Amino acid sequence: MSKIVGIDLGTTNSLVAIVENGVPRVLPGRDGSRLVPSIIHFEEGGEILVGNSAKARLIENPKNTIFSIKRFMGKGIEDVREDLPMLPFDVAGDSEHVIRLKIFGKDYTPPQISAFILRELKQNAEAALGEEVASAVVTVPAYFNDAQRQATKDAGRIAGLDVLRIVNEPTAASLAYGLNEKQHGTIAVYDFGGGTFDISILKLSEGIFEVLSTSGDTHLGGDDIDEHLIRLVMTEIGGTPDASTIPSIRKAVNKAKEELSSSQEAEIVIDSLKFRRKITRAEFNALIGPIVERTLKPCRQALKDAGLKPDAISEVVMVGGSTRIPLVRERVQELFGRVPHTELNPDEVVALGAAVQADILGGGKRDMLLLDVTPLSLGIETMGGVMSKIIPRNSTIPASATEHFTTYVEGQTNVKIHVLQGERELVKDCRSLAQFDLKNIPPMPAGMPRIGVKFLIDADGILNVSAQEERTNKYQSIEVKPTYGLTDEQVEGMILDSFEYAEADIEARQVIEARNEAELVLNATEKGLRDENISELSNEERAEISASVTHLHEAVKSDSHTVIREAIERLSKATQRLAELNMNSAIRVALKDKRVREIQ
Amino acid sequence: MNYFEVFDLPKILGIDSGALEKKFHELSRKYHPDYFSTGSDEDKQKALTMTSLLNDAYRTLRHPVRRVEYLLELEGYKSDGSKVPKSFLMEMFEINEQVEEVKSGSATPEQVAAVRSDIENRAARFDSQIEKASAEWDRLVTSHAPDAELKAQLSKLTEVLSESSYIRNLERDLEGTL
Repeated sequence: MSKIVGIDLGTTNSLVAIVENGVPRVLPGRDGSRLVPSIIHFEEGGEILVGNSAKARLIENPKNTIFSIKRFMGKGIEDVREDLPMLPFDVAGDSEHVIRLKIFGKDYTPPQISAFILRELKQNAEAALGEEVASAVVTVPAYFNDAQRQATKDAGRIAGLDVLRIVNEPTAASLAYGLNEKQHGTIAVYDFGGGTFDISILKLSEGIFEVLSTSGDTHLGGDDIDEHLIRLVMTEIGGTPDASTIPSIRKAVNKAKEELSSSQEAEIVIDSLKFRRKITRAEFNALIGPIVERTLKPCRQALKDAGLKPDAISEVVMVGGSTRIPLVRERVQELFGRVPHTELNPDEVVALGAAVQADILGGGKRDMLLLDVTPLSLGIETMGGVMSKIIPRNSTIPASATEHFTTYVEGQTNVKIHVLQGERELVKDCRSLAQFDLKNIPPMPAGMPRIGVKFLIDADGILNVSAQEERTNKYQSIEVKPTYGLTDEQVEGMILDSFEYAEADIEARQVIEARNEAELVLNATEKGLRDENISELSNEERAEISASVTHLHEAVKSDSHTVIREAIERLSKATQRLAELNMNSAIRVALKDKRVREIQ
Repeated sequence: MNYFEVFDLPKILGIDSGALEKKFHELSRKYHPDYFSTGSDEDKQKALTMTSLLNDAYRTLRHPVRRVEYLLELEGYKSDGSKVPKSFLMEMFEINEQVEEVKSGSATPEQVAAVRSDIENRAARFDSQIEKASAEWDRLVTSHAPDAELKAQLSKLTEVLSESSYIRNLERDLEGTL
């Protein structure tokens, strides 16, 4: 079966990794870089750029260059209202439940845009491995809700990837750290990335990674730090801020932020605005102090949920680019009373862990097992707008609960059910997950039907629902309509839409395969030419071989697999007689050896 | 299969948490969907069903109160607020008023501390009552006591659990305000 890759689909950067011979490694992109910036640029002519090439267009063409799309996954327009002024995107009208970005008159949902990133990673992996990649493990923030997880899975489907598992980022990171070698212990993974914050507490025992609790904030990351700095600059520039200048400000403050991780002072330089300003680490720390403080509350909550005091934690692992900030390290060290692990590159550790999980799923490893939890309580709406919890947060997944429903009116054949996620008492304070009708209930007096509805959260943290009327044993048809998500039909439609890209995928893969074969043929020819039999060939034959070699060297630069294949074919023909001669002498040598041995 | 059967345990309430965890890990290694992700749809479905049952069972049995609730449900007993004595309800009503005061912010720090410790003490008393009643259930089961005695003990457990749920709600209520 084909190889399974691990993908970290990040807010700022994305990566793909694989385990080979038991060791996980990041697969570099076709441009040589290990990180693919999660940026997509749409050209007017229809061409789509992803990664570094898209990042290069961020400043000149901000409207058609999409970044931080992960923050929009599984969200409606009201959820991101506050962010919009800082973002240069055009939002389409129909965005109440699924945000749609308008680009050159066409609407794109966040899963579709994320699919471009996944497709790029898939192609990078195929180029690096020289074979098709059809399935992947994709990571998400541990605190992602059902809709955000489903949106990530949808993105995979649209990109033509079979997402075998959605894994939580902090848990993936713990796998990469190889902490299993320690056998026993309780570890805290502090994951502060570009857009999200997670904390997970895990208990390790003999290769079992059991998550005890998790907490976080899916809207808290390096982006928020950048925004504080952007606001500072905009205030100092004064006047009415011009949204089109934001990308250059963002770039400049981001650079200063990164510099402040290693120096005490940095300068924010924006040539186009003739702006220049020094910022000290102390000033920076004062500015971001409240953001760092916001990450500590979920840490305390996770400790409490795990029933542990900070000193019970034996290791602290740092993940995500924002953990390079010295203030972050200081505060985490203070809270847990120990120096956190920072040995592995915080940008790569999640992808490496995803690759380890992919290896487990592929059957490569059986000594490690990840037992993760659901980050949010699952409940249903009951009388008076109250949320009744049926699966508490931090339950190990897969987890299920069966609830019984009945009718209130004689002959009632429909019962409405509203599913929610969250910790608050009232429905209005929780996140609506889905609504569905139990239909075709056999008509009976009120209160007589007994419908058992099984709510099952699978290993991806995604809800599945099934129902049965227990008196008649009849399975109910359930059509779950996600509140903040796409229906199956919508995703199918998007997959059809993406076929034009899928065709490009197949073409790209065929080119890769043809190039690999060309390389093999060229190597074999080179070896053959060194053989003594070369003298048996005529001048014409030798000239044709050399011309064919040059031809193939040129052909591999082409993006058409048929051109490469034709050149391979020509070279094979030209070297056929040489190959036969070599074969014959190889047989002669083999026979001679045999005779010598027989004589002895 | 009920949760006790999942762990191959008799229907008794004294459960060694170390042994339970060990068995949980062992069964997880046997059934977890991670080991069947490239298998047939049938195998995958089976792994999902078995593992969710295992996780549900572990979540319930590892917790000393949830495990009693589950046993009562299994035996057809339902904790019922109406059976709670009136004098007890009056006490709860008074504590509830104090909690409301804390929530509204009109209580002094001393009053807050007093309400808190009152609730904590009561909760601890209930925990030990549940523990005692659970141990008694186990004794009756293992000594093959007559049905009538078993039923009486189940009723007793139901009562303690119903009363303790009032305190637990108050505890949660108070915690939410601090």
